[in-house]
Amino acid sequence: MSTLDTAPVPAASQEFHRLSFTGNAAEYFGIWIVNILLTIVTLGIYSAWAKVRRNRYFYGNTVLLGRAFEYHAKGKQILIGRLIVLGYLVVYNIVLAVLPIAGLLLFLVVLCFFPWLIMRGLRFSARVTSYRNVRFDFVGRMGGAFVAFMAGPVIAVLSLGLLAPLASRWMYRYLANNLRYGGRAFAADPKLGPIYKTWFFSALIIVLGLLIIAVAALANLSLIMALINNPDALPPGFQASMFVLGVIAYLTVLLSFGIAALFYRAGVRNIAWSATRFDGRHALKSDLSRFRYVWIALSNVAVTVLTLGLMRPWAAVRMARYVNEHTAIRFDGDVGEILAATGQEGTAVGAEFMEFEGFDFGF
Amino acid sequence: MASDEKPVCRGDWHPLDSSRSVPSLLVERDGQVRAVAQDGTELASSVFLTLDISPRVGSIPRRIGFADGSLFETTDNAAIDTLQRVHGRKRAGIIHRLERFHPRLVIFVLAVFLLSGLVYRYALPVLVEVAVAVTPPVVPRLMSISTLETLDRTVLSETKLDEAKRRAISDGFARIALNSDHGSSAYTLNFRKGGTIGPNAFALPDGTLIITDELVDLAGGDTEMLIGVLAHEIGHVELEHSLRQIYRAAGMAGLIMLIAGDVGDSVEDLLVQGGGLLALSYSRDAEAAADRHSVELMQKAGYDPTAIARFFEIIEAKLGDTSATNILSTHPGTPERRKAILDYEAQLREKPAQN
Repeated sequence: MSTLDTAPVPAASQEFHRLSFTGNAAEYFGIWIVNILLTIVTLGIYSAWAKVRRNRYFYGNTVLLGRAFEYHAKGKQILIGRLIVLGYLVVYNIVLAVLPIAGLLLFLVVLCFFPWLIMRGLRFSARVTSYRNVRFDFVGRMGGAFVAFMAGPVIAVLSLGLLAPLASRWMYRYLANNLRYGGRAFAADPKLGPIYKTWFFSALIIVLGLLIIAVAALANLSLIMALINNPDALPPGFQASMFVLGVIAYLTVLLSFGIAALFYRAGVRNIAWSATRFDGRHALKSDLSRFRYVWIALSNVAVTVLTLGLMRPWAAVRMARYVNEHTAIRFDGDVGEILAATGQEGTAVGAEFMEFEGFDFGF
Repeated sequence: MASDEKPVCRGDWHPLDSSRSVPSLLVERDGQVRAVAQDGTELASSVFLTLDISPRVGSIPRRIGFADGSLFETTDNAAIDTLQRVHGRKRAGIIHRLERFHPRLVIFVLAVFLLSGLVYRYALPVLVEVAVAVTPPVVPRLMSISTLETLDRTVLSETKLDEAKRRAISDGFARIALNSDHGSSAYTLNFRKGGTIGPNAFALPDGTLIITDELVDLAGGDTEMLIGVLAHEIGHVELEHSLRQIYRAAGMAGLIMLIAGDVGDSVEDLLVQGGGLLALSYSRDAEAAADRHSVELMQKAGYDPTAIARFFEIIEAKLGDTSATNILSTHPGTPERRKAILDYEAQLREKPAQN
């Protein structure tokens, strides 16, 4: 009840205002389990409305300066978007069966439309989000989406991760520089140097994981050599222990890559958000602790799995709370005036959004 | 006039698309719902039917949109529920009532587990069959071409077998291929040196079969046994096992994403991997089916139907593989398979005798 009653806007200040998360696990549990149940019972149709309720819950509990964000998408919009994608897949398969060559062409068409779909998806997500009754908007183009979401990841993979920071930079620049709130622009220019620094630590984690495996393999070198030279020589008992060793090595690789990825994600988020300005002068900040972020993510997975998924709502709320509490904005000037002024220009966005564009890939 | 005024709740009112907010009161007066500022000024009013009231989700603020596009926001969900009920919206908020933290959620949890089990057991196989039925032949063809190319580039190399040995195996293979459902033109046999994959034979979904030199060596001149193994691989192709398995994995991933919606990235990955483990148990059934197919095909072609059982004997003897089936293996335990083959052959022999 406290979030909205008076909603005072603090006067001018130089301090960062942090986001908070007011939801709780017990409340979300009910929403979550009913979402799943109704989705199964309706053969998936309800999943569109489930998404709306889930997002409304999380946006509606994300609070900045006493006011919550809002998610406005309607289940019907999302369902239509999903049906179009499904319909396309069906047509695609039929055409493929009748005319294989035409099917390949259709595949190429999809590939070319992918940046467009990403761009529309981002615009949709932005336009169905509002804060203090003023909508966000996204004005990115297809070309930018191609660079940020297709070229970037491809060069990151091709360079074996060496150019991943460049890809991250492109992506965050595309996302932030095209985001609008009430007609005012966000702008971000994350520097490569700091991103490479956080990337370096992540790479170190991977190297450490590989090193552990290498040491384990060296310790058992004689055994492995024997196995390669003469697979029949080893008694089954030894083969079983080699198998266990293999599984452990696999898990170590998986874990070190997982930790490195989480570590990197948190680090880059901090750098990119903190390098973002709204309307040229209001600073954003993200100060996630990378270790704490990794710990929350990993323990969330462990708890979720150990409880057969039942603690997932708790895990989701826990993560949302942590991320929100380490995201902040500092307004330059009188906050009330700033937001009121932004609101004046918000009209154009609001009127346009209802047009159909339910492509929604959950970015 | 004040006599029929009913205050509903307190909240904030926004003009159309503006962040400016006015602390105000929602009241019902003269059949209209109105937002009234604290000093008594009326900000907006509409008849109830034209109001756009957002459904209740948890305890997040409620939006009441007026006909003129302005908006009243309040956290007093209970008051808005009452307002809706008074106006005959009995069904409004039904989802929210289901979602409330309540012992009945235990039943929902059980229902979700039960229904997921049913979907996995009954709906998924049906989906897989439909997908296999509508897959055009070009798909397995493309898949196979690229797989063979990748294998050739990475692990496989040219065969070192002598011409006579290859001819003997090819002739036998032609004989069983002729007796298969798809006919001899549907299959091509390739000889390769297996390298790290060792003694092996496998089929690609378009009917391309590969047998490694190492396997031929392991057979030690028993060509009939190798034919039995190839008959097993033909079984995989005819029963479309690889396509089924791909669709099964894809279907699992799709269902997980659709049903679970919010399970978190990493848990989703884990579920997909767990689905892979489950697919292994399915592949054990596939192996058994291919074994039976080998018995039938060998019998039709006039070979010893249980030739493939000799192969399992060799594996048991040479590789010491006497382990029973376990969850991590793609293939059933070798002794088990050998016994199943002999049983099936006996069964086939009895059938015609009874008639």
